[in-house]
Amino acid sequence: MRGSFAKRTMAEPLSQVVASMPRGRFLALMALFLGPAVAIYTLFSIYPLIATMALSTYTTDSSGAYQFVGLVNFVTLLTDAVWSKPFWNAAWNNLVFFAVHMLVQNPIGIALAGLLSLPGLKLKSLYRTVIFLPTMLSVVIVGFSWNLILSPLWGVAEGALKAVGLGSWFAPWLGLPSTALVTLALISVWQFVGIPMMLIYAALLNIPDELIDAARVDGLGHFRIFWHIKLPLVLPTIGLVSILTFVGNFNAFDLIYTVKGALAGPNFASDILGTFFYRTFFGFQLQLGNPTMGAAVATVMFFIILAGVCLYLFIVQRRLRRYAF
Amino acid sequence: MAGLHIDKINKSYGPARVLADIDLSIVDGEFVVLVGPSGCGKSTLLRMIAGLDAPTSGDIFIGNRLVNALAPAERKIAMVFQSYALYPHMDVRKNMTFGLKFTGVEPSERERRVAEAARMLRLEDLLGRYPRDLSGGQRQRVAIGRAIVREPDVFLFDEPLSNLDAALRVSTRVEIARLHRLLGATMVYVTHDQIEAMTLADRIVVMNQGQIEQVGKPLELYYTPANLFVAGFIGSPAMNFFPAEVESIEGDKVRAKGPTIARVTLPAGSLTRGSKLTIGVRPEHLTAGAPGDFSTTGAVELVERLGEASYAHVRRADDKLMVAEIRGRDTPAPGQTVTFSAPAEDVHVFDEAGRRL
Repeated sequence: MRGSFAKRTMAEPLSQVVASMPRGRFLALMALFLGPAVAIYTLFSIYPLIATMALSTYTTDSSGAYQFVGLVNFVTLLTDAVWSKPFWNAAWNNLVFFAVHMLVQNPIGIALAGLLSLPGLKLKSLYRTVIFLPTMLSVVIVGFSWNLILSPLWGVAEGALKAVGLGSWFAPWLGLPSTALVTLALISVWQFVGIPMMLIYAALLNIPDELIDAARVDGLGHFRIFWHIKLPLVLPTIGLVSILTFVGNFNAFDLIYTVKGALAGPNFASDILGTFFYRTFFGFQLQLGNPTMGAAVATVMFFIILAGVCLYLFIVQRRLRRYAF
Repeated sequence: MAGLHIDKINKSYGPARVLADIDLSIVDGEFVVLVGPSGCGKSTLLRMIAGLDAPTSGDIFIGNRLVNALAPAERKIAMVFQSYALYPHMDVRKNMTFGLKFTGVEPSERERRVAEAARMLRLEDLLGRYPRDLSGGQRQRVAIGRAIVREPDVFLFDEPLSNLDAALRVSTRVEIARLHRLLGATMVYVTHDQIEAMTLADRIVVMNQGQIEQVGKPLELYYTPANLFVAGFIGSPAMNFFPAEVESIEGDKVRAKGPTIARVTLPAGSLTRGSKLTIGVRPEHLTAGAPGDFSTTGAVELVERLGEASYAHVRRADDKLMVAEIRGRDTPAPGQTVTFSAPAEDVHVFDEAGRRL
């Protein structure tokens, strides 16, 4: 009784005012509140998206005129040898790029957050700031710095490895087709590991102290408390971090463009969808720009990310809901 | 089952001393309540018994075993927390068995204990549910169940009823008392609620500012408080205090008077002329009109009618308020001047340092 009374007094003044409003005024009010956001979102997100999708269904003939061709561009992209080989190469590389982030960046971020949340750790805020620092640097600077560090001609990496007796391990990692992509992914991991660390650290701080006390009374040590109590309780945040990583990785372009240029060498070994799209749309060196095929690549990228996000929202996040307090 | 012995426990955080030379012995099977205002160190003491905090100095024995260096799980204790502290990602059964897994209890034994605790606490239908689907009272029963399955020597309760509403608090209190009778285990219970303390405890430990003020049976604390703090803390509404001075000694009787006291006659004891005293009388021991060994007069300012009794707030000569309990249908009207009295056995006398005489 009391609950419903409280709810009514809370909601009633508003709903009565709105309910007694003439319909025209109500709609005007809605337009006033929703209008600006809808207008901006439409102008800068929805319209370009639809325009891109529309463009991907056209092609240009020799005179430069646009002709509607339906889904032909997509068929070309996925089946024609000239297009499909670099496309699948870029898609696969992008998957590897994402996998490195998931297997290296996020576990290290979780482990760092776990260490930061240990009671009695000194200099917490110093570690936190230092680890987060690279995230605030421009990708261009990070890419350029690592390019210099790893350079076999004048980089410090070889000397540093020699100093600890591991000189024979050194290889021009950015220059070898077998290692370039993973090396670039690890540079990106180095730069952005602070983001999962911060998000998961914040989630760990949310776990009540009494819960940890209860686990200690139950006989768990620090590691088991982390594994059995803290980790399950931050799974929703880990899910969020994963989807952010996924979206970020499949939109990535800047680091590879900075370090390897648009050709994403050596021999396209570090080519991902972002750089592939760039060459397709704008052209590079001998390759002419092709806006309609570029739009098709962009549309495919959009659907890959959409599929990933839907998978997360409708399957993963639903299952994680049971970990809520 | 085991008793508990605390020997000269001190705890300081930097210069701040939160516990000073605490000594306390609890016998096997006793229900001891630590009570005191917030910040008095009662929860800190409990956490030290549990092993969640380490004392700065001093020893803790559980059943004659020095446990200072032992982890919480090795102390054979179980703790119930104010916020229940149930694992949100485990169902009720898992919550109860989780700790047992790490202390090497066989699965069949775990099942037996859970079944027994569930029966005792009427949790059988809830075993498959998650904490978020339970009400506050159910959650607290699960938390108690999680403590029971550990079969500890000592149960520790940290304000377990504070998060429950008034009705549930009463029924859960009864439940805990019943459990104590059933299990016969040693229990240490922290609360700031004196009703919980009075109703549950075999013995109450009243704490204030990191020190033990008095240890005693509930009615001992009520009828013979050792000092002003205990006198004022136990009992609701709180005891009225009146400043006084010994006026004359006639044989075994002492007459004392004060600015707010018309007359008080006390047994002589060790009093000398001119001794400064504080006289304490509980509201429920004041009677309007009737003559008595103690009497005081004031103007009624406000009457609170509760039904079984009414509380008259009375303005005294020194402009402070005192409270008198009035039974029955006739209550004084505000503005009326009334004389209240009390028999000598209900008058508490404290010396200048606040100690009971």
